[in-house]
Amino acid sequence: MTEVSIEKLTKDYGQGPAVNSISIRIAEGEFISLLGPSGCGKTTTLKMIAGFEDATEGAIRFDGRDVVHVPVEKRDIGMVFQNYALFPHMTVEKNLAFGLEMRKLPKDEIRTRIAKVLDMVQLTGYSERYPRQLSGGQQQRVALARALVIEPKILLLDEPLANLDAKLREEMRVFIRDLQRRVGITTVYVTHDQAEAMTMSDRVVVMFGGRIAQIGTPSDIYERPANLEVAEFVGQVNIIRGKVGNRVVSTAFGDVPVSGDFADGAELMLALRPEAVELLPINSGATGAPAKVLSSYYSGSLVDYRLELATGAVVNVQTFPRTRFADGDQVLVHAPSDRFWPLGIVA
Amino acid sequence: MIVPPRKRFGPLLLIAPAAILLGVFLVLPYLNIVVMSFRMPGQGTPYGPGFTLGNYGKFFSDFFYVQQVINTLWIGFLTTFICLVLGYPVAWQLARGASTFRALGYALVLSPLLVGIVIRSYGWTILLGNNGIINRTLTGWGLIDGPLPLMYNALGIIIALVHVFLPFMILPIMSAIQGIDPSLEAAARSLGASKVTSFRRITLPLSLPGIQAGCILVFVLSLSAYVTPSLIGGLRVKTMAVTVVDALIDTFQWPFGSALALMLSVTGAIFVVIFGRLTVMKWKA
Amino acid sequence: MSKPFFTVYCLIIYAFLLAPIAVVVIASFNAGAFLTFPPQGLSFRWYLVFFNNEVFMRAIRTSLWIATLTMVISGIIGTMAAMFYVTHAGKLKETVRVAMLAPLLLPEVLTAISLLFFVYSVGLGTQNLVGMIVGHVLITLPFVFINVSASMESYDPAWSLAAQSLGAGRFTRFRRIMLPLIKPGVIGGCLFAFIISFDVFTISFMLKGVGMSTLPIQLFDYLRTNFTPEAAAVSTCSIVLTMAVVVISEKVLGLRIHRF
Ligand SMILES: Nc1ncnc2c1ncn2[C@@H]1O[C@H](COP(=O)(O)OP(=O)(O)OP(=O)(O)O)[C@@H](O)[C@H]1O
Ligand SMILES: [Mg+2]
Repeated sequence: MTEVSIEKLTKDYGQGPAVNSISIRIAEGEFISLLGPSGCGKTTTLKMIAGFEDATEGAIRFDGRDVVHVPVEKRDIGMVFQNYALFPHMTVEKNLAFGLEMRKLPKDEIRTRIAKVLDMVQLTGYSERYPRQLSGGQQQRVALARALVIEPKILLLDEPLANLDAKLREEMRVFIRDLQRRVGITTVYVTHDQAEAMTMSDRVVVMFGGRIAQIGTPSDIYERPANLEVAEFVGQVNIIRGKVGNRVVSTAFGDVPVSGDFADGAELMLALRPEAVELLPINSGATGAPAKVLSSYYSGSLVDYRLELATGAVVNVQTFPRTRFADGDQVLVHAPSDRFWPLGIVA
Repeated sequence: MIVPPRKRFGPLLLIAPAAILLGVFLVLPYLNIVVMSFRMPGQGTPYGPGFTLGNYGKFFSDFFYVQQVINTLWIGFLTTFICLVLGYPVAWQLARGASTFRALGYALVLSPLLVGIVIRSYGWTILLGNNGIINRTLTGWGLIDGPLPLMYNALGIIIALVHVFLPFMILPIMSAIQGIDPSLEAAARSLGASKVTSFRRITLPLSLPGIQAGCILVFVLSLSAYVTPSLIGGLRVKTMAVTVVDALIDTFQWPFGSALALMLSVTGAIFVVIFGRLTVMKWKA
Repeated sequence: MSKPFFTVYCLIIYAFLLAPIAVVVIASFNAGAFLTFPPQGLSFRWYLVFFNNEVFMRAIRTSLWIATLTMVISGIIGTMAAMFYVTHAGKLKETVRVAMLAPLLLPEVLTAISLLFFVYSVGLGTQNLVGMIVGHVLITLPFVFINVSASMESYDPAWSLAAQSLGAGRFTRFRRIMLPLIKPGVIGGCLFAFIISFDVFTISFMLKGVGMSTLPIQLFDYLRTNFTPEAAAVSTCSIVLTMAVVVISEKVLGLRIHRF
């Protein structure tokens, strides 16, 4: 098991930095996701860790040892590619054996390890198949097995689930996460799917434009986003504005106490997740902001509402479909004050 | 910490042999022949000391050579045009026709390429000669009295050249048509275009890159063809390439031969450029 | 165009493409002393004449020898260049392509002449085979390049990266991953190189040394003065030889190409 530390890593392809001075410490056995929109530099970062790209600046250490000058084939990494990159002219067994042969392992050792890994990815009996004779999910598992069978120091995955259909994708999330826990391997996982990053990772690194916007546990990222961009990227969010006065922001939902140094009179942005609020009938007598239902979207387990507050502001709310409101109904929106999160001062 | 970028010379070693080969044995010789065309003619040696414009002067002052370049260009044009007309339907069938037919057709188009040009031209002499198969058959059927002049003239040369270069027209057009998404034609049909219209408005314009490539290839190849014109044309009709080779091999006039070869190539190149300009495809940029 | 008409049109073209070749083959079995059609009886007599004609036999041996050498050299240089073109050329891609195809786009006669003058001016001359081989390699290089780079278009660079991530060095990656996957292109390119070198005329004609000749040159010389069916027998043998090369390499090497 290996601890990975990345220090002030920068990559410039010649048109300004694609990755800009990022630093991450990854603990032994930790599952870290790099999350961000297309083009934010996730793949580039992963390639630098793997050694496929030279860093323009910065250091990468495996267990304290700088590996910047170590070529890919000597870094002892396991990598899963987006399109799997299974060797089409080799059977599953040959694909799995390849990395072991490179390490000059004896034949029986290779055989036992392959049997073990095939069992682990539930593909025993498929060893004589060629990649094209496998389904997408099976190919995916072979790719995973090929990376794991060499027992690398670190596992790198670049959007490995992007080519699977939604159902399979959710199954594989669980599969990969469980496998990683069992093997206990340090893992870096690249994705632009926030749900994937949240469900699988110990910690998530959110990147925008080559920079790290936030590093934190999934709940940190979701409930305490570092800024508006992060808040919006990891899920739906309502932005509630209000003036600070006496350590309190007054909003349509009532007064929200805020910690932190905000000068009185400043206008603050507060994040409020759609599912953090409760919808009540208008005459229920509870505290809250009155609103009118503009439209609602039913999706089985949940209902999404678009509401218009008395101020004219529109908020999105997500609730369980216990009580349904019709379009045009007047409702009361109750938002507990501890569910607001300050994102900063309106510029 | 600043990491110096790793210098990678490895990949350059891959291209080095080809670069050296082309540089030394293609670029230098071409530069050399340009120089050669300005040298003085020699007495008993291939070329003499000193430089002159005389070789080009001789070319322009002797209408015989100018006429020959024009003839050669004509033969090139006609060959290209006939190849296009004959080849396009075949290319289309190879790209879009029934699959059983396709493999066989492809083999049939490729197979002449596997047979040397001398042999193919020889085959045409058997077919086209005064005592050749065609003339004998026609005489035998009583359709003609004397042999038709099929050989030792431009007609024979063009027939044989079309045969020799037809695959070079068919193959690029075929791959261009294969590259066209069939759903484009389907879309045109769904919008109300007839088969013919969808061919004319969609397939044909989209296959222009293939047509362009095929035409240029056939034109250039037929200008510089040597074997076919000299076997079929005999001593009577000479194309420029034949004259050039004779000037070099038989009479050892290296500087003048170089000038002739360059004049032919330059004229050919000018036509290729004009052709490229005329058929420029704005959507392809 | 109606469908049957269209089919017939294509059939006529195919017939046109095959006609002169078929005629040569048929003529070679002519029993008579002259090329007449239809043949005056069938016989192998002209094949015997040809096999006993040391001039032609020597020319065939020279041609085979040159074609083999050309194929090996051209195959290696062209494959390397194609690898550079597909994976490393970057901004130079178009330049590399045009340069590699140049020998195909330039008039063969002009290339042959320039090379002839060049080997004389650098003192190589034509008595050794260097000029001839160089010429053949130049002419065949584009075919190797086209074939190999085409087969590399479907090569996913991620395969090399994956092999590298599994610990394979540069040479292992080439031998175990890339070469097996681009083999059809390499074999196809080498085949083309062999056949074109075996058949090429103008380059050989210009660069041959005194007293030396390849099969096409010998045939050409012969045809200028003779009209016996011996030439047809020679031609037929040459055709059979090239076809055999194609078929054998398809059968022997092809089996393994198509397995996955
Ligand atoms: N080889 C390259 N040369 C030049 N620029 C590059 C190269 N590779 C990537 N870039 C640029 O670097 C930036 C980051 O690219 P990267 O591939 O890391 O994005 P990503 O976050 O993985 O995006 P995606 O989710 O779309 O895969 C992009 O702006 C991209 O255009
Ligand atoms: Mg990416």
